Formats: sequence, C-alpha cells, structure tokens
Amino acid sequence: MISKAEIEYLAKISKINLTEDEAKKFPEQLDKTIEYIDILDELASDHSIILDLQEIKFDELRDDVVRMSGALPITRNLTEEGFLKGPKMK
Amino acid sequence: MSGLHDLQAYEVVEGIKQGLFSAEEYFSSVIKTLEHVESRLHSFITLDTDKALSCAKVIDGKLKANEDIGQLGGVVVGIKDNISTKGIRTTCASKILESYVPSYDATVIQRLKQNGAIILGKLNLDEFGMGSTTEYSSYYPTHNPWNLDYVPGGSSGGSGAAVAAGECTVSLGSDTGGSIRCPASFCSVVGLKPTYGRVSRYGLISYANSLEQIGPICRSVKDVVMIMNIISGKDNKDDTSMSSSPITINNKLEKFEIAIIKDLIDGSDDEVKRTIYSASEKFSDIGCMLDEISIKHLNYALPSYYTLASAEASSNLARYDNIRYGFNLPIEEYKWDTYFSDVRKNFGEEVKRRILIGSYVLSSGYYSKYYLKARGLRSLLKLELLKLFKKYDLLIGPTMPILPFKFGEKIDDPIKMYLVDINTVIANLAGIPAISLPVGFSNGLPIGLQIMAAPFEEQKLIDVSYALEQSINIQRRPKLE
Repeated sequence: MISKAEIEYLAKISKINLTEDEAKKFPEQLDKTIEYIDILDELASDHSIILDLQEIKFDELRDDVVRMSGALPITRNLTEEGFLKGPKMK
Repeated sequence: MSGLHDLQAYEVVEGIKQGLFSAEEYFSSVIKTLEHVESRLHSFITLDTDKALSCAKVIDGKLKANEDIGQLGGVVVGIKDNISTKGIRTTCASKILESYVPSYDATVIQRLKQNGAIILGKLNLDEFGMGSTTEYSSYYPTHNPWNLDYVPGGSSGGSGAAVAAGECTVSLGSDTGGSIRCPASFCSVVGLKPTYGRVSRYGLISYANSLEQIGPICRSVKDVVMIMNIISGKDNKDDTSMSSSPITINNKLEKFEIAIIKDLIDGSDDEVKRTIYSASEKFSDIGCMLDEISIKHLNYALPSYYTLASAEASSNLARYDNIRYGFNLPIEEYKWDTYFSDVRKNFGEEVKRRILIGSYVLSSGYYSKYYLKARGLRSLLKLELLKLFKKYDLLIGPTMPILPFKFGEKIDDPIKMYLVDINTVIANLAGIPAISLPVGFSNGLPIGLQIMAAPFEEQKLIDVSYALEQSINIQRRPKLE
C-alpha cells in the first residue's frame, strides 16, 4: 500500500505541487497502478538481466564530437556574461 | 469546386499537376470543410491558415513557371502538437508549453516542406501524448467524427479525427504505446507506427524515447506509402535513426503466412471479435495461409510498458523548469524549490500521475523489483516475437479490444484507461512496425485490424493491407451534417 506520506515525498523529489483534490485521490489511484504492475515481480530474477544491452554494437556509435543543431539559441533568463539565471537558492 | 477535400493525397498531387484544379481551389475546399466541422470536433489547437494559403499560392506559381512542386505539392497536412514546427506554437496540449514557439522544424517537418506539403496547423492530443482519448488535453477533448458523443482515441486523437472528417488530407501522429493506431481504429482511417529508427525523432518532444515513433495517419494505404517514403531515413540529428529501402504499392500479393494472436481476440468485445474474424477470412481469399498462435509473455506486456514509459516520462519531463522557455513567472520573486514546484503544478493530472509512478519505480529498493524486471520482460517479448517472425510473415489481431466509448467512461479510473492499450503496446516494446486498417463498423462505430511485422518489414504490412483494403469496401467519410 502506497501511503499519503510516500506520495508527498514522491511529489517533493519530482518537484510537483499537488492540488488538494490530487493529494486526496492520488494515493488510491497510484496504489491500484502499483498493484497492477506488481505482476512483474512474478518474473524470475534471472529474467531481469537486461538482454537488450547485448544488441548494442559499439563500433556503430558516432564520434563524440559537438554538432550544432541549427536551431536558434534560447536567450531567455541569460545574463550578459552568458550564464543562465535561476531563482535564489535561499 | 466542391469535394476536393475528399481526395486522397496522391489524387491531390496528380490533380494539381494535371491542371484539373489549382492548389488554392483544393485548399479552399479543405478550409470550407474545416469551418463547417471544427467547432464540433475540436481537432486543432493552433491553425496557421494565412501562411498555409500563401504556400498554396506558391505551389500554383511554381506550376505556372514549370517548376517542380514536389512529391506532396499542395497537399494539406495536419501535425500532432508534440512535433516542433518553426514559428508555429507547439504546446503538447499542456499549459506548461502554452506559449512555446519552436525556433526549429523537426526533421519530418523539414522533409514534408521540402516536398511541397502545406502545414495547416497543430492537432490536439492527450497532454504530452499520455492518454488514449484526448480527454487529458489541457485545452479541450476532440470528438469522434463518427459520433460526437464518443472519444476519437488517443493520444493522436486530433490527427485521427481531422483526417477522417476532411479537415486535412493527411496528418502526422506519434506512437508511444498505440497513439497512432488507436485513433486510426476509432476514426476509421489508416495509421502506421513504423519500425523504431525508421523515422527521425528529432523535433518530437520526448515522452518515452525508447518507445516512440512518428508516423502517418491517412485515408488510404497508398497515402501511407507516399508519406512514409518522404519522412523515413537516416538523420544525423537522431542517432537512433537508420536508412531503409523505400516501400511501394504492389498489385500482386505474395502468399504470406499469417498468424492470428488468439489472446488478443479472446480479450476483445464480441462485436470486435466477429469483425476481426470476418476480416481475417479475407486473407484466405487473397491467397494467404492463416494460423492461430498465443504469446507466452503477453500478460506482462502492459505492466512492463507502463513501468518503462512512466520511468522515461519522469526523466524527460524534469526539463520543464520554466527557465529557458515557458510562461511568464518572474524568477526574482521565488526561492529555488518553490519556483519549480509552483511552475510544475501546471502539469495535468495524468502527467503528474505518470511522473510520480516513474519516480517510484526508479527509486532505490523498487528499481530492481519493477524497472529492471520490465526491461528484462521487454527483451524476452522481443525475442519471442522475432522467433515467431521466423515462422510467420505477419501477426494480426484487433487494434483495440473495444469499440470507441463515451466521454467520461474511463477518465476516473487510470487502470481502466491503461487497459485500452493492451493490444498496441507490444509493437512499441519490441520496436516492430504495426498498422491499423479499418475493417468494419458496429452500431456506426469503427473497428480496426492491427497487422504487425518483423523490424523493417513495412513492405509486407503495406502489401497485405493494400490487398485487404481493395477487398473490403469500407465507408471512409463520416456524415457530419
């Protein structure tokens, strides 16, 4: 059972404010969802090896060089020195 | 001229090139239809009618000057509003991006424009592509043109409804767990989710990168081929994209080995079952061999999909901090955490639910219980399907297990809503191509057949879909009085 306190913690780390209505109905809804995906736990743990990693062909990866996208740079909240400006830490 | 909006894309291009009508005349016919039905359908979030009209005039000017108008010269296209369009607002149907105007075109948009397509506007969706009805759009739901009381499917519901109603001739959607095929089925149009990597995702606003692909929604298989050959191919801006051979319309069909996925039929409503069995009999008529199979890992597919999609969503949507783009909320008046939490309260309920579930399954203690198991299941399912494709050319079943339903029927129960995607998520988990083809109606509501093939075997999907389309006479245009 996922508790109200756990929902509040998840919302905090996800940086999301919940409305009163959401805080009220999310515990039951999320609990049902977790219960639904719980079936995955039936899979034997040796199945949890990530087989698709074997499909990556490392010689096909691109060179690690910067490529310009061609999109115009976003200038919102940029300082004159080119730093991104955010809200105060404290 | 009336009726030009009813034409398919290939007929529009031929008509304009042969001088049967001008691009402007065809465009006016589409706009007239749009003005007649849009107030009831709500397919579009943003219209760019003036720019689109000037593009139609440019096409006519080029034709007069004997210049090439491109393979899609003059065709009116609608774009799902999670695909970046330079200079046209791109909202993802979210309040958080309500004023975002991209400074670049997605690769698919560049390719459409280079081939003479006219971009009419941006189509409605469930917020960030999370949903199956468009009821999760932050603006308004789109209505099904076959019955306005019913949902059009989602998340590309605007793309499905607009094409079915003649508000545009073709559209682009995106498919993370069935978001092209679901509205194609519910609106009686053709929708293709390509093989993962066949179409560039550059400019598709990310929700679950490892699952999603852009694809066409059209009124015919022939139009799907036309659009796919333009938008497919390697793109240096998306390293998961790959080059592929063009697809064509073949009038002669090979004798394919086709397997019906019994589990998908068994879980469907009776009307859907009957229609799918009746359509599959046509495969025998057109010379294909039919068999019935089960998929061992099918029960785990949907839980696995929602675990992976939510995990990727929680990571992808962390970027919406309102610093680089967003709405007007001055940073000076806030402290760090309060600012971001306040900004992000503008996500809708379903987006918040998925972010929270994603954070949960990725958190220490639950990561190996859910996320790793879901990754493992994905690999097992893919291996099982690839083994089946060694024996069979194609796998079939209903696109949707149920008929389109009324607004509000599932909105308060997320699990009921998620179960709608049970037949379609398989193709996304395995990265294989899948098409939804209209095959019938029950009580005036459309039913679609889903056909799946091995990776990059879109040609087989097209061959069999075209043959079936020719043998089943399906009404393609709803009557919207």
